Amino acid sequence: MTEFKPKIIAFLCSWCSYAGADKAGGQKLRYPANILVVRVMCTGRVDPRFVLKAFREGADGVMVLGCHTGDCHYRNGNMKAMKRMRLLSRMLPQFGIVKERLMFNRVSGGESELFQKLATEMTENITLMGPLKIEGFVKTEGAL
Amino acid sequence: MPEESKKNKKTVLFLCKCSSNISDTVDFEEIKKWAKKQGDIDIAAVSNLLCSPDGKKFYTEILKSRDAGKVIVAACSPRLHEKTFRGLAEECGINLGMVQMANIREQCAWVTPDKTEATEKAKSIINSALNRLGRSKEIFRRTMKAEADVIVIGGGIAGMEAARTLSRAGRKVRLIEKNISLGGSVMKSEDLAPGMECSPCLMAPILAEIRDDKNIDVITKAEITEITGFFGNFTMKVKKRPRYVEENCISCEECFKVCPVSVDSEFHEGLGKRKAIYSLFPGSVPAAAVIDREHCLHFTDNSCSACVAACPFGSINFSQEEELLSIRAGAIVVATGFTAGDVSRFSQLGHKSLDNVITSPEFEILSGTNGPTGGRILLKNGKEPQSAAVIHCAGSIRDDGIPYCSGICCTHAVKAGVMLRKKYPSIRIINIHNDLVFGTPREFAFYREAGANGTEFVKCSDLASIKISALSPAGLLKIEGDGITAVEADMAVLVTGFMPPESAADIASMTGAELDINGYFIPDHELLNATGTGLDGIYTAGCASSPLNASASVVQARAVSGDILSRLIPGKEIELELYTSVIDREKCAGCRLCISSCPYRAIYFDHDTKVSVINESICRGCGTCAAACPGGAIEANHFSDEEICAEIEGILHD
Repeated sequence: MTEFKPKIIAFLCSWCSYAGADKAGGQKLRYPANILVVRVMCTGRVDPRFVLKAFREGADGVMVLGCHTGDCHYRNGNMKAMKRMRLLSRMLPQFGIVKERLMFNRVSGGESELFQKLATEMTENITLMGPLKIEGFVKTEGAL
Repeated sequence: MPEESKKNKKTVLFLCKCSSNISDTVDFEEIKKWAKKQGDIDIAAVSNLLCSPDGKKFYTEILKSRDAGKVIVAACSPRLHEKTFRGLAEECGINLGMVQMANIREQCAWVTPDKTEATEKAKSIINSALNRLGRSKEIFRRTMKAEADVIVIGGGIAGMEAARTLSRAGRKVRLIEKNISLGGSVMKSEDLAPGMECSPCLMAPILAEIRDDKNIDVITKAEITEITGFFGNFTMKVKKRPRYVEENCISCEECFKVCPVSVDSEFHEGLGKRKAIYSLFPGSVPAAAVIDREHCLHFTDNSCSACVAACPFGSINFSQEEELLSIRAGAIVVATGFTAGDVSRFSQLGHKSLDNVITSPEFEILSGTNGPTGGRILLKNGKEPQSAAVIHCAGSIRDDGIPYCSGICCTHAVKAGVMLRKKYPSIRIINIHNDLVFGTPREFAFYREAGANGTEFVKCSDLASIKISALSPAGLLKIEGDGITAVEADMAVLVTGFMPPESAADIASMTGAELDINGYFIPDHELLNATGTGLDGIYTAGCASSPLNASASVVQARAVSGDILSRLIPGKEIELELYTSVIDREKCAGCRLCISSCPYRAIYFDHDTKVSVINESICRGCGTCAAACPGGAIEANHFSDEEICAEIEGILHD
């Protein structure tokens, strides 16, 4: 059996967490290659259906990383994202998805090491959980 | 361009080696082989360093010669060079929405040492860009006409500085003041710490400059009733109350002598008297006096017109009427200043109930040459004080008062002692404080110098415990507090903190700019845009966003002016945000969830058609509304559902 390499989608906001990921690059901080980044201008743009879409398309885990409280480039989009993801994580089990497969967190443009840490931990956790198998409703409905 | 010819346009993938930064880890031969198999990539071109002059030439030559329509630049972060490659593509006639960066350096080559893994990840990243481009729409730069004139609210030191800075660059400025003349709070001080410059001397030439400036229209006795619009296009409605004195008045004060009415003077913190016809101080701008309609006998019982007879210029005009003005401007500067903290609710401090207990604003005006005593500070019994206690943080840093440290009052507290010692060299000064806050090395030196010159500093661990009582029969005040030996003094100065004025809340609600829990305007960005607010084009200067001293207020006024001058240029249109969101009127159900989600109040409800509409000149393109819309009626330009989903599909299935 080949080793399970999870696919993890990371929605990063352009101003903070994406900048943090770029800084991790600048410092050559290695982290697992299975973190696949989708850039948005603000985590407030992350429709919960994007998360479901990612799961349906084969992601084993999803990270949504925004700015710290008070740091949002768009005033409070990060807070809206936090609330939406909190609600979504409570609904995920109904779709047969363990809520830990979704992570919401905050990474500033300077926190490259935090980004590396979260990316590494998320990969380890998802690897332990094994591949996501979704069936029924989520496979056909409920996502874009 | 006809659809048909667009279809035949080529998709070009640029692979940048970034010298060897990327190609050391990502196998470009493998990527090229992979790209060939992707039916959608027509050309894969490798550059050694695409952002170099040679690289850029290579880039544009290929785009022009190979009939390119869509471009993927697999290189560094879009945060670094998206603008560069979009701009060059635009020069080649390619829409900027059709240029997609694939970040294979910062987020791939540099963090993935294993060559096989890095190459696979690069494929995923490029594929997501490719898939996204398949569903990307063109985006267009749009501009809008804008007013270059500016409205400044508040005629204190910050507002005046903004007005004259903007005027020097030729801008028309409307300076709106609610009081009867300019000057604000700084005018009530005699000396400004730490340099101890004479405040009226500092202000006089500024006031004169504004008086003579043709670009600055000073509107006093003003009440703002409405502010509508957005950056570049604001409209303000202002009520200009009558002065009942014409502009030809030079404030010779002949009328003051004959006016029989005497009331407490607001400018003197109620410690002095003024007439029913009055001005704030000699040299006011505008110079014209004002009749106080509430107290003037002409208006109360029509029994007096002494001022009319006394005026050598015929300036009195009882029939002046209120004017309603509608003013347009591209930007608004809110310089509404502060009000002093109120200590009346803290009865143990003895303000008003005990003789010789005054607040710091009262101290300022009493020590001023513009003040009711001409600068003399005497005890109630007419004697000179032998000793004075200065109580820091009076009514501040407590939940039932001002809950924060204003940060600038410690310097004022030290100054009170310095000024008293200047008047009475042998006076004993005791400053009772807890934390001491001095914002600059010069302020700190000022404090140390005051200490060296005799000011005693007594630390009290809880200033809320301070209790002031009168010791009879000596008339001395006794000041007690936790952890300090009781202090006896002839007088006490209660140093109050800073609060935003009520008018700030009115302006906030009219504009939609947010206030924080303490009533200060929340900066658009604490570090990068401290003088901006949540609503673009509404700026703050001075104490509107936090307590600031005169120097910092002036700095902010200049910062605001610089920002406005660089963004509003007469005759030049302003560029709108590229990634605005748009509501499809057909799909909108009118639920208005988007309106509550928008951080900028860019969305309004059209009551005629019962749909929500986004004002694209306010929208900043965060896309939060698009995620909130339950009906899928909102499209975020360049970050549409389709584009993001395409990216997700592309990155997961290469």
